[in-house]
Amino acid sequence: MLEIKELGVRVGGEEVLQDVNLEIGPGEVHILLGPNGAGKTTLLMAIMGMPGYEVTRGDILFQGESILPLTVEERAKMGIGMAFQKMPVIPGVKLRTLGEIIVNGGSSLIEEVAEKLNCTYLLERSIGLGFSGGEAKRAELFQLFLQRPLLSLIDEPESGVDLDNIALIGKALSELLEREQVKTKKRSGLIITHTGYILEYLNADVGHVLMEGRIVCRGNPRDLFVDIREKGYQECLRCER
Amino acid sequence: MKVKEDYLREIKERAEKALNKKAPLGPDVDLNEFYLCSSQEEVDSVESISASLREAALYAGVELEENKSSATYLQVDRSAVYQKIQDAFQGKLEIMAVSEALEKYPELLEYWWGLVPVDADKYTAFSEICPMEGYFIRVFAHQKIEVPLQACLLLSEESRIQSVHNLVILEEGAEANLITGCASVRGNESGVHIGVSEFYLGDNSRLTFTMVHNWGENFHVRPRTVVKMGNNSFYSNTYVLLKPLSSLQTFPQAIMEGENADANFQSIVFAKGDSYIDVGSSLLLKGGGCRGNSISRVCAADSSKVYTRGKLISYHDEAQAHLECKGILFSQRAEIISIPELEVHGAPRSRLSHEAAVGPIEEEAVNYLRSRGLSREESLSLITRGFLNIDIPGIPAVLKQYIDEVIRLTSRDIM
Repeated sequence: MLEIKELGVRVGGEEVLQDVNLEIGPGEVHILLGPNGAGKTTLLMAIMGMPGYEVTRGDILFQGESILPLTVEERAKMGIGMAFQKMPVIPGVKLRTLGEIIVNGGSSLIEEVAEKLNCTYLLERSIGLGFSGGEAKRAELFQLFLQRPLLSLIDEPESGVDLDNIALIGKALSELLEREQVKTKKRSGLIITHTGYILEYLNADVGHVLMEGRIVCRGNPRDLFVDIREKGYQECLRCER
Repeated sequence: MKVKEDYLREIKERAEKALNKKAPLGPDVDLNEFYLCSSQEEVDSVESISASLREAALYAGVELEENKSSATYLQVDRSAVYQKIQDAFQGKLEIMAVSEALEKYPELLEYWWGLVPVDADKYTAFSEICPMEGYFIRVFAHQKIEVPLQACLLLSEESRIQSVHNLVILEEGAEANLITGCASVRGNESGVHIGVSEFYLGDNSRLTFTMVHNWGENFHVRPRTVVKMGNNSFYSNTYVLLKPLSSLQTFPQAIMEGENADANFQSIVFAKGDSYIDVGSSLLLKGGGCRGNSISRVCAADSSKVYTRGKLISYHDEAQAHLECKGILFSQRAEIISIPELEVHGAPRSRLSHEAAVGPIEEEAVNYLRSRGLSREESLSLITRGFLNIDIPGIPAVLKQYIDEVIRLTSRDIM
């Protein structure tokens, strides 16, 4: 579904990613690990095509075609969606209004998804205005649920979120990415996590460690976490398995 | 009571002396370049109102349909062509042409030019010398009218002056929601609209007043509004202008004489073309416990120039009020000038504050919406609509929906 080849990305004049290679098949969920400042968010932003994230080399293929010439909205329409780490504040634009635009009109789906994500009380509020960490994460997932993307890019779904909400978010992600379905999985995900808590609720297929602008390690996500907890990220550079 | 003849003579004399008096704010309009507007035939039912008038009213937010309001007043050019109170509201309120009201109730002279000085400037003076109707509305004591009243003032002829004088009285404990739409009929691109409005709010009364303007591109508009507020009264004034015109200058004032009066002004302006717009509001806080807000949201595009003013004047220790102006500039040639003024006179414990911010639309927000599949233009339009969508305190849900709808309809081609 997603193929990243020798990708280099520059942000604000600085080369953040130099040579990233990554492949995600249909129905697969991958976890992206790495120390602060490694470029994890940059990779997600570059896949989404956000302005300011300039691809300097390599290619990004989505369903076999290069998406580099496409704008953000064109990529969204192709089926790429993103839950951002930080939600902007958009005064006067209600979460419900944006939801209605995403599903192209008023729909019972909005109420249903909002209830699932405990967002009903946020629907009439301006996007991001006064949202707590947990509220912002749930509101991001609410939008992704309405978008139903083929590829979900999810940036730190559990940061700034209490344990109760991590369970809610974890289960919702599992549903969004169809992890419970055995045969018909077709939605894929790339999730940044620092804590790994989300893995308690979400069965991920592959983990990647991003350091110094490239992927330095791949493996079973849970095993990777255990190793990193014990030995730290520096060990990943030495090991390079 | 004032002796009628003496009083009328006196105001007439004052007006004559002020006919060439330039207003302190806004570009000067040479009224001699325009003709006086004509009389129009009265219609006996709402169905008889022509499609073009109906359309003009709709673009100023007034739906001329049976049962859409508790009472309706429609003026075209210098004539009151339709006025009606729905059956359910008979005996609770009055609505009629102001000339008819002054004839029927001579005691109304007590209120006539009681708040707006007739010699304030050439426009008020002109309104007295060449009166062209206006509406009179009275809501009787303790009547609470939830269904909005509608007043619509239309100008159908090219290059004319329309000068109206409106009088609104809410007796003690009365409550009402008044929607006023002022517009030129399609195809009429040039003219002058002068609107003198004097509102008297009795003790414990509540009035929400929403005014939408929709004029041709070469119009000059000069509303002159003063509201006098009694004890525990509430007033909300929302002004919406989203279409280009030549010039608009208005600076309505609430005189809060009673205790615990609460006044809220909201100006929502999207300036386009070569529009010169000077808007704002002024709160005169005299009574103990008086409070209020003067809020404006301004977008300036093309070569438009917008002055946004707010003035809070406190004379009482227990008064508090807030001024807020936020603006977005969409063009290199547009201008926004924000002028806040706070005055405290011998009331050291009063609390007045202001905040102002003029800046661009955040790219982060635009890109965020694009990541949900909206185009750049759709994103800008949505953010702009949100920006103009102020949370207005104390207004009923139906009115809030109405303002949202006006912004939605008139901003469809905002970019």
